This record gives sequence, C-alpha cells and structure tokens, in this order.
Amino acid sequence: MSKQESDADDRAENRNQDTNGYEDIQNGHRESGSAGSERARATGEALVEINELTKTYDPDGAHVVAVEDLDLDIGDNEFVTVLGPSGCGKSTVMECIAGYLEPTEGEVLINGDPVAGPDPSRGVVFQSNRLFPWKTIGQNARFGPQMRNDVDDERIQQLLDDTGLTGFEDSYPHELSGGMQQRAELVRLLANDPEVMLMDEPFSGLDAMTKELMQEMLLDIWEEEDRTVLFITHDVAEAIFLADRVVVMTARPGQIKDVIDVDIDRPRDSSVLTSEAFNEYQERASDLIHDEAERAMEQKQQETQEA
Amino acid sequence: MDGARWAKRGVSIASIVVVWFVAASIGPSTLPGPVAVASAFVGYLGEPVYWNAVVLSSLRVLGSFTLAAVIGIPLGLLIGWNVVFGDFTFPALELLRPVPPIAWIPFGILVLPSVAISLGVIGFEVSATVIFITFLGAFFPILLNAIEGVRGIDEEYSRAAHSLGAADWQTFRHVIYPGALPSVHTGMVVGMGLAWVNLVAAEMISGGGLGFMTWSAYTGGSYPVIFVGMITIGILGYVSSTIVRYIGASQLPWMEGSTV
Ligand SMILES: Nc1ncnc2c1ncn2[C@@H]1O[C@H](COP(=O)(O)OP(=O)(O)OP(=O)(O)O)[C@@H](O)[C@H]1O
Ligand SMILES: [Mg+2]
Repeated sequence: MSKQESDADDRAENRNQDTNGYEDIQNGHRESGSAGSERARATGEALVEINELTKTYDPDGAHVVAVEDLDLDIGDNEFVTVLGPSGCGKSTVMECIAGYLEPTEGEVLINGDPVAGPDPSRGVVFQSNRLFPWKTIGQNARFGPQMRNDVDDERIQQLLDDTGLTGFEDSYPHELSGGMQQRAELVRLLANDPEVMLMDEPFSGLDAMTKELMQEMLLDIWEEEDRTVLFITHDVAEAIFLADRVVVMTARPGQIKDVIDVDIDRPRDSSVLTSEAFNEYQERASDLIHDEAERAMEQKQQETQEA
Repeated sequence: MDGARWAKRGVSIASIVVVWFVAASIGPSTLPGPVAVASAFVGYLGEPVYWNAVVLSSLRVLGSFTLAAVIGIPLGLLIGWNVVFGDFTFPALELLRPVPPIAWIPFGILVLPSVAISLGVIGFEVSATVIFITFLGAFFPILLNAIEGVRGIDEEYSRAAHSLGAADWQTFRHVIYPGALPSVHTGMVVGMGLAWVNLVAAEMISGGGLGFMTWSAYTGGSYPVIFVGMITIGILGYVSSTIVRYIGASQLPWMEGSTV
C-alpha cells in the first residue's frame, strides 16, 4: 500500500472510531479482547494531529533521523500511551507537540492550528522531575496561575489535599520523596488546567508500589476532569493499564509499528492487571516491542563501535 | 558545630604559630618572632593610625565589592542568558581579564582621578585607582560564575516555565536568576578574597590603608609592623569571605545540604 493510501485509510478509520466510540460508552457495551474498530472510551474530534512528522538532529555534522514520517491523531479526551524502545524518538515526538522543537518536516496541529511554541494549554511532565528546586512545593504548585496573576488558592489547596501533599507546602522539593515530588509536579500541571497533558515517562523512577498508586491517581484525575493525555513509557503493563490506545513505535528512526486499542472497562484499578484480557494485550504488545528493542540495541552497539 | 571540629581548626592555626616560632629562632634576624609581633600588635591596637588603615581598607573593599556585584551579577546573567548580548560583550571582557591588577596601576594613576570627599568632621580621599583595581578583583569571578550559573541551568526548567505560561522575562525572574544564584554565590566568595588581594597590591603603590601601612613599615625598617599588617589583612579577608558565605547560604535554603 502506498504511503498516501495508508494515510487516507488511517483517517477514515479514525473518523469511524469517533462516531462508534460514542455509542460504546453510552451503551456500556465493550467486549474485552476484541481489538479493532471499537473504542474503549468516547473521543471527540482529533485534538492533536501529527502529519508526516520527521525530525532530524544534526549535532556537529552527524545526521540523526530521530522520527520519520509519523502520523498520529489523538482524540479529544483520549488517553494515548506511546510504547517504544530506548532512543526511538518518543521524547522527540512529545517535544514537537509541546512546542520545544520545530518539526524538520511535517506538522503538528492542535485544534487545527499549527503548534507555535510552548503554551499553558499543553502541560508537560518531564522524564526526570522538573519541579523548580528553588521554590517550595506551594510556590511550585501555584506557578502557572501566578504567571497570569490568577491564583485560585482554593483550587490549589484542593489539589494538594487530593494528592496527599497538605502540610508540605513550605517544603522544598529535595526534602520530599520521589513519589511526592512526582505528585507535586502533577499538581503544578493541573493547577494550570491544561487541555492536553504530555507526560514523558513520569513514573519511571519510582518503585513498583508507588508507581501503581500514581497510575491509579492519574486515572482518577483523568476520569474526573476530561483531559487528553499523551503518556510515554517503556513499561508494557503501564502502557496498557492506562490507555485507550497504545501506540507502539519502531526502533529509530521512530515510526508507528502498530496501534492497540485497549478495551478494558473503566474505571480501572489494579485488579485489572490480573485479568485475562490484560494478559492478552500484554503479550501482544510485548511481541511487538521485542523485535524493536533488539534492533534498537544492535543500533546502539554499532554506534558505540563506530565512535 | 561540634567541639572536635573547632579543636582541629585550633590546631591548624596553632601549627602556623609553631612553625613561625621555629623559623624565627633559627632564621635571619630580619624575621621577627611571634612574641615581637604580638607586642607590636598590642601597641598598634591603641594607635589611631592603625584603625584608620583598617577602616579605610575595609570601606574600599566594601565599596568595590558592592560595585562589582551590582555590575557583575546582572551583566553575567544577561551574557549567559542571551546569546546575542553575550557575543557583543563577552569577548571584550575576556580580553581584559588576564591583565594582572598590578599592570593597571600606572594606567590608574595617570588616568583615574582622586576625589576628595568631606562629610562634616571626617574628610577623606577616594582614590579611584585603588577602587578600580579592587573592583576588578571581585568583578571577574562574580561575572564568570554568573555566566556559568546560567549556562549550567538545565534547559528543561525554562521549558517547564514556558509550558506553564511564563513569558521570557518571567522565566528570567523565576528560573534563570534563582537557578544561577548558587554559582553567583560561589563567585562572590571567591571575588571577596580576590578583592583583598588586589586592594593590598594597589594600596602598596598607590597609597593609604593596610597595604600602605605594611609597605611603609618595610621601608621604615619596623619589621614587626609588617606582620601586624599581614595578619590584619588575613583576618579581615577571612572574616569578610565568611560573612559573604553565610549571607549566601541564608539566601539559598533550597540547596541540598545547606546549613545556616
Ligand atoms: N539534541 C539532540 N542532538 C542529537 N541527537 C539527539 C538529540 N536529542 C535526541 N537525539 C537522538 O535522537 C534519538 C531519539 O531521541 P529521544 O530522546 O526522542 O528518544 P526516546 O525514545 O525518548 O529515548 P528514551 O527512551 O531513552 O527516553 C536518540 O537516538 C537520541 O540519541
Ligand atoms: Mg525520552
């Protein structure tokens, strides 16, 4: 199939899903395991549209194609996770959506408009914790609204309460545990009420137990106030547990290898992790990612030998 | 701090005195021992000449250091933050930096004026040469550390600020400035030390203060007084660096392992 045809197909399928998806959730009718055209959750129009995105890096003459010809639509209120081997361009894609990087080719549209730099409507949680270390938790939490002179103290307090950070307003980030720092960063993001949340392996540094709690908390937040989430991870179970759709990427140059629709009822809690459906999804995703991870590793070895 | 540490520090100072004592008893007669210097010191503590020198030198350092901080910190932050501004200013400054302070003295004496200031009862002369050279000592470490401080801030903090809605100047105020402060602080501690080094060099040639007192003790042949001058300079330098260090630490409560 030619590139263009497959694009057209993708779009058509997307539209299909958009209309079908709505009925799904209204009827509460979902068959687990039946991947395909059915949607785990209602989605509106494509909020984020990535069209033929290519990004190359050229540090001192080297030519690294990080992402090549990538197409992806993310629907309104959809929770999409991106799964891919190390160095495949996951962060690059996210940084193009966030507006930190300009695409070398192609475009990223938000509500139909091209991205022009960072914007508070697109909140970011970074791969390594990026709370401002020189500000207290309270100051970090109110940072976004403060920039607009529009601090709603009640809302900030509510968010801190919800995430169990009450009483730590005057602590500095380094005085908190990793999990608490991660929650504080989430509060900082939510205080700004972003339309899209871009999360780059936010929980990768946490221990298994904390990670599970954070995932549940994130889902609670997401279910409560509808938001669109793009969540990057290299943890297969995490990707499936959270997502409406899991986008599996190839080794570099990053392209989409496959998309898995996750039809597991929401709200989800950790009991889902032991269900049969979950296992099936996990096997499928693991198979997809396995080859790519191997290729990525070979790439890496080759590069180190050359260097 | 616990007693054991203070004891170790005491030993450190006592050992200098012991080495000095031994060196003076076996060394040349021009080297006065600790006892002779101590008695000269006690004598000097009652002399207005001594206290004038102490006050003059301290004021010169304070003035020059403040000037260096007021100019060096904003300049360094801007150079580090804005590439274009950096390209316009930094090469010129780098050209001046390696010129040693002593080499500025003829220039200073020929070009820079001395301004007489009188404040009612006390009248004194401000030697622009001494101020300028002392200023240079503090200025470059402060400037370079401010630049480095900005460049060392992880770009993701600025990205985070922008994504939270901060405009450029807000990012400067909330990310660049606080993020560079630890490094600026280091620059100020180093700069305070070098301010004293340059001050003494300038005063020896250009006049006034503890530098001149030490130098004229040499030309006048009162050798113990040379050491009174040296010790006083050492103590004042140490005390002022410590003050800067403490003020800095109190401003940086967010640093890991910061203790005030
Ligand atoms: N600024 C840059 N200059 C040069 N090469 C870069 C740059 N940033 C990323 N790369 C390269 O581009 C590729 C994709 O990087 P990216 O950070 O997007 O990958 P990733 O999937 O997020 O990896 P990880 O799982 O390690 O976070 C990598 O091979 C990386 O080495
Ligand atoms: Mg990454």
